[in-house]
Amino acid sequence: MSEAMPGLPGPRPDPTSEGYWLAAGRGALVVQRCAACGVDRHPPTEVCYACGSLDWSWEPHSGLATVYSYTWVERPIHPGLAALGSYNTTVVELDGTNGVVRILSRITDLEREELVVGLPVEVHFDPAGDGVALPVFRPQRGVPAA
Amino acid sequence: MIDLRNQAAIVGFGYVPFGKRGQYADQGHLRLVVEAVTAACADAGITPADVDGYSSYYTPIDPPELFEAFGAKQLRYTAQTWGGGGASMCGAFQNAAMAVATGAADYVVVHKVMTMEAGARYGQAFGQMGQGIPTIGGPFQYSVPYGLQAPGQMFALAARRHMHLYGTTTEQYAHVTMHAREMAVNNPEARFRTPITIEDHHASQMIADPLRLFDFCMETDYGCAVVITSAERAQDCPHPPAYITAAGVGAPFRFGNALMSFYNQPDEDFASSGQRAVAQELYRMAGMGIADMDVAMVYDHFTPMVITSLEDFGFCAKGEGGPYVEDGNLGLDGPLPVNPHGGNLAEAYTHGMTHVNEAVRQIRGTAINQIPGATNVLVVGGAGPSPTSGMILTGSPS
Repeated sequence: MSEAMPGLPGPRPDPTSEGYWLAAGRGALVVQRCAACGVDRHPPTEVCYACGSLDWSWEPHSGLATVYSYTWVERPIHPGLAALGSYNTTVVELDGTNGVVRILSRITDLEREELVVGLPVEVHFDPAGDGVALPVFRPQRGVPAA
Repeated sequence: MIDLRNQAAIVGFGYVPFGKRGQYADQGHLRLVVEAVTAACADAGITPADVDGYSSYYTPIDPPELFEAFGAKQLRYTAQTWGGGGASMCGAFQNAAMAVATGAADYVVVHKVMTMEAGARYGQAFGQMGQGIPTIGGPFQYSVPYGLQAPGQMFALAARRHMHLYGTTTEQYAHVTMHAREMAVNNPEARFRTPITIEDHHASQMIADPLRLFDFCMETDYGCAVVITSAERAQDCPHPPAYITAAGVGAPFRFGNALMSFYNQPDEDFASSGQRAVAQELYRMAGMGIADMDVAMVYDHFTPMVITSLEDFGFCAKGEGGPYVEDGNLGLDGPLPVNPHGGNLAEAYTHGMTHVNEAVRQIRGTAINQIPGATNVLVVGGAGPSPTSGMILTGSPS
């Protein structure tokens, strides 16, 4: 459970996803890369959509990304989130991947009006218990929106 | 290859009066379905014991239970399509049409029923899975821990991207709801019959920016059923048949679990209802295009998804859905009237069944807001979990 999002469950790693979550728990963003054709993908899955291979590796990623879309949740479902007032859930597109890789996440450390599509962001990590963490993002300071 | 065009028809529909959320919770689903199927069969001139096939897109009442309830002699066909909510609704009609056209069954029923227990909300469909547990697995491990827990929040992401790419505005969203309310004014079965303005829309509560309360459809307790039979048997039914010219499901590249926690589809499909592929397939199967349609029923659970459905089905070019609704093109005197019954936003939310009812009424010539001479009707399934779906009905199977 993330302290930033009180009351919400943390991710429960499975054999396919644990490499992703445990890396985040160690402070590293990794992306699943097909061992046969080299295409990157997320969320973690057993099969490469591009070539069908069942083999993959975890590739370290720079953690640099761009805001793709977002919403500000004004009426949270979980009562534990009510104290936040509002929060964003944001899709970011990772920079420099082989093929499109977008991740649902949250942008921290910014004012509401600063969150725009195209904003350059960088990863950091929100501990979520049991050695796992949620990759979250914050603005790359000094880098203007694309 | 077998041509299914107009080989099957909708010959009856029935439903219980629409209830507010939770109104029928203590009655049980079976009772509501039995009442709806009985009414649909009466409309079709048959009895529920004549029904020998069931086709569904998720239902709490399975075919064996209904078959047993009605004391039918023989169950011959069952089918289920995937997609969740009302995304694949027209797929249930596709499966029914294939069954009666091939003789696998004589009369197939598509039904849908829903009641909300005390405290339950559609908007918490995924949020409830994330309550009171320390961790969450499966596909929701990538979304619920971040607080993405409701369909409205998920659709807000697609809506925001559409705004970014094409300049779509919340004033244009308002026009979708304003149109629905206008259509419902003289529909006595509709829940929201009071016209609203852009100001009213903007004054409604922001829920998942850019979506406000008036961008969401209502919640309805309901039971609905429709009877499908072969074109040949349809000649003996009391009402003019609504022939199924084409019906299908589909999804474009990488739209498999789109909007849930998978966001990798091409840009033009992310900012869409995911219906581009099924629209193309539908028009191919029908040998018709959008210009051949007289009226359209567009699943309207969220206003921006109506705008993107219009684009996906070719009412207007990609990115022009916002101006299209703003310019009044949905109206009864527009180029292609949409949801003359008021739809999910104003009449009732039945996961698509009321859109089918209205399509049949338009073909029979019995709708409240009747389009003169309506013959070809487009029905669009819900945007959201794949596959989504579409259907073309006609009163003139030439």
